[in-house]
Amino acid sequence: MSLATDLWWAVARSEEVTSKKPLSVDIGDQPVVLWRDNQGIARALEDRCPHRRAPLSLGCVRDNGLIQCGYHGWSYDGETGRLKEIPNMKDQQKFPPIYKANAFGVSEQAGFVRVCLNPKAEAPLSADPKYTYVGTVNVSCSHQEYLNALYDDPALVIAIRGVRFSPYLMAELHEEGGMLVMERNCQWNPLHWPSHFVAEFPLTLLTRTHPSTGETQLTLRDDQFNDLLHAVLSPVPSARGVTAVRWRAEMGVRHPGVRGAILRGINPLSVLATIDGSKLRTTKPTVSLHGEDLRATMLDAPHSAQDQTQAA
Amino acid sequence: MLEVADRPVSPDDNAPASTGGSPIAMNVVNRWVPHNIVMLDSWFPVAHDYSVSGKPVRRAIYSHPIFLWRDNGVAVASEFHPNERIARDKSAHTDARGRYPVMEHYGVVWVWLGNPLAADPRHLPSLPFLPPQGGLPRHMTATVRFESSAPISLENLIDLTHADFLHADVVGDERSDSETVETYYDSETVTMVRTCVNKSVAPVMKFFSGIKQPTQNVRQVIRIYLRSHCAIAYGRFSPGDDVPLFHPCTPETRDRTRMEMVMNTSNAGRMFRHVMPKAGYKVSRQDSYMTSPQSPRYMRHTDRKDLHSKFDQAGQRYRMAMMELAERQAKGDFAYRDNVSDDCSEIIGLRKELFQF
Ligand code: FES
Ligand SMILES: [Fe+2]
Repeated sequence: MSLATDLWWAVARSEEVTSKKPLSVDIGDQPVVLWRDNQGIARALEDRCPHRRAPLSLGCVRDNGLIQCGYHGWSYDGETGRLKEIPNMKDQQKFPPIYKANAFGVSEQAGFVRVCLNPKAEAPLSADPKYTYVGTVNVSCSHQEYLNALYDDPALVIAIRGVRFSPYLMAELHEEGGMLVMERNCQWNPLHWPSHFVAEFPLTLLTRTHPSTGETQLTLRDDQFNDLLHAVLSPVPSARGVTAVRWRAEMGVRHPGVRGAILRGINPLSVLATIDGSKLRTTKPTVSLHGEDLRATMLDAPHSAQDQTQAA
Repeated sequence: MLEVADRPVSPDDNAPASTGGSPIAMNVVNRWVPHNIVMLDSWFPVAHDYSVSGKPVRRAIYSHPIFLWRDNGVAVASEFHPNERIARDKSAHTDARGRYPVMEHYGVVWVWLGNPLAADPRHLPSLPFLPPQGGLPRHMTATVRFESSAPISLENLIDLTHADFLHADVVGDERSDSETVETYYDSETVTMVRTCVNKSVAPVMKFFSGIKQPTQNVRQVIRIYLRSHCAIAYGRFSPGDDVPLFHPCTPETRDRTRMEMVMNTSNAGRMFRHVMPKAGYKVSRQDSYMTSPQSPRYMRHTDRKDLHSKFDQAGQRYRMAMMELAERQAKGDFAYRDNVSDDCSEIIGLRKELFQF
């Protein structure tokens, strides 16, 4: 797939990027290698050594912060991508500027490492909330289909312990501050009445999605407008139509009673690693159909849509 | 300190012959697409002679089916299985009965792919360290497969500097007092000779050959026969052993490579003689850790040029020579301008006295 080059993709959680071992991720069909240099700064280069095209992610991170290719040991600087050293060539360690790997823009905030294919792009600002629960899954489903599933039936892609998503919406997908926003009614599990016969819903799930990257803020609220759970879900298009999803979640206010207690146990949010294909293909595009149109209109009007500021 | 040189085998006589009259520019070499190179009119090693018996075994060269069996002890190479209900057309590479030219030599079965009328034992690569009639013990042979195109595997072989990184546990730290690399080439071969003075002794040698000294002098030769995708890897270690290796990279498909390896360790110590050929399994796994992900990245043309250093000279020469030969073949010129069956003992520096057959 072709992707706009000035988008910032949350391709890793901060703790996944280390100086121990390079990490291989993708942005669409572009392989990217990530690591942390000796100053603790996250770096991103194309995961392809310009010498003989070996993946740099098979190499190692040196004490001086350079990434070293595992094939012939060429070492690259993470900030510029420039070649810094060829082993056994102590006499010549100045290389012409074309001796470089493609470097990408990196920005690290709120527990995510974001990469932009355009190294000159300006990094987004975001709040820095605390997140207790984290995870990474790779789902074999395209980026758009993944988001469509989240819109049409969140149960296809996530689960919240003790909570059941109803098919009934409180607010259809609409634009708000450059984001795609919707709100869905939820119930506590187990049910007393099927959702069709319920007069009042005790919970809602609010989602706010960036129209290009699909990065989504999830908020679970009770009927007293307490935020019970907050999460960020970051789906990134990856190789072979896979969507890599990184997420972080944090508990909010405690809901009284047993239900609140169940929700507050160990990590209440699961982001599913597989999608049930038979359920997926028969799920009606109730939200996503309209969502795709809306998204297209928003992306045509760049002033509102390109703001990636996280209003957490 | 490393010294490098790159020169034609015979600089004076018929110089244009070695370049095919159309030198391939460096730019093109650095963007080569080995996946597209198909060599014809060549002998390809497809099997150890002992693997061919009465029951047909299947091989391929560039995906062309080959069935091998013996008829009264004589090797047959057919494009059809004897039990096959034939529903496809015969190719242009075989005779009226669907048989490829085939010969046995050096303990290996060779199949000619190309114009069958051009098949000639004169085009069989010279491997002077193997007994012409075969007969080396089986423990000196192995079969290894690579999930990469044959030229990628051969480029890996002729490339020196990856050993420190991929094979450090086998070859050691590659430190030496002085190092010289020379490349010789003609229209059919590329030969690299590397000489190291006082190189740290490789761990395998310490262990299996019982070398007590901390350093040894090393002369390593890689000689590639371009068309057959066969290589000789010959190491002379002093103190130490003489270990010539036949390292073919037969393109069973354009991106899967079969290696019917023969390592003549007859002159080495008993331990080394048995263990060393098996090291091939380990070393080849280490190589494919890089060549497997590399190979698909060389399947399509790209405008981005590979970068290189002076250590890559032999590899660059290999690419250039392959591309020149491929270009000639594309124009319909399949003639051999240099004779590959000429005894290459001298160019590889073979200690003849150790290999008398
Ligand atoms: S391929 Fe990376 S150093 Fe050679
Ligand atoms: Fe190797």
